[in-house]
Amino acid sequence: MNEIATEPIDHRLISEFKAGSMEAMEKIVERYEDRIFTFGLKMCGHLQDAEDIAQETFLNAFKYLKDFREETKLKNWLFKIATTACIRKRRKKKCEPDREISLESFIPQNGDDVKYEIPDWSEDPSDNMLRAELKDVIDNAIQSLSHKYRLVFNLRDMEGFSTQETADILGISTQSVKTRLHRARLFLRDKISTSYKEGGVQ
Amino acid sequence: MKKNCRKDYERLSEYLDGELDPDACREIERHFRECPECRECVESMKKTIQLCKEASTEEVPTDARERLRSMLQACFGSTHTE
Repeated sequence: MNEIATEPIDHRLISEFKAGSMEAMEKIVERYEDRIFTFGLKMCGHLQDAEDIAQETFLNAFKYLKDFREETKLKNWLFKIATTACIRKRRKKKCEPDREISLESFIPQNGDDVKYEIPDWSEDPSDNMLRAELKDVIDNAIQSLSHKYRLVFNLRDMEGFSTQETADILGISTQSVKTRLHRARLFLRDKISTSYKEGGVQ
Repeated sequence: MKKNCRKDYERLSEYLDGELDPDACREIERHFRECPECRECVESMKKTIQLCKEASTEEVPTDARERLRSMLQACFGSTHTE
């Protein structure tokens, strides 16, 4: 017999939904909509696209929830659906193929000045202007990552999935997750540092 | 580029994520002592991840929340009654 991997609260809500409770559906949405919406926004960069992703994710989730065997956490299952929605949206938009990120360009050579200026995030509300500018720099940097690297970065570093969980969600090897994550981080570090140095944020 | 840089540079994220075995960690830490570039790399990557996380909060617009619920009610309300 397979073990139930969903959290107890999700297991209860799923059972209630299967028994016909609309309230349980509402509670599942409440638990996960912010994260799915944020993921959609980080992946696509537009509010409308993020809303489409969230709608498609929950629509498909509740359509197939009766068949969900709870062998993974509900959150992981929802992100797998959301990832498929992001990939479908990208296909529809006929985007350019993914550009590979080469490690070579990041490896410091002897004599290179390798000081990276990564600013701190201020929690001070009086720094709203500065925070908005910095957030723009960060969002633009994430958007300029090629899609397959952005997927891994968002799942691993933004959503906190483990390497194995990310590999399962994306259907790729753990080695591919590690390779893509490392390149994505190096790319973002360079992009954010360069924008900061060039005066993107005063 | 210093000796071992290429090999260690490739594993810096795994080092940061605690995914390397203790021997490999010690090897990398030895390398850091003689290679400020790689040490700087790991520090700047750590700061980058932290910054991206702290700036990641997004607000779901109220009307988007309402549209999602209306759509789900319309699709599942008729088949799911309490």
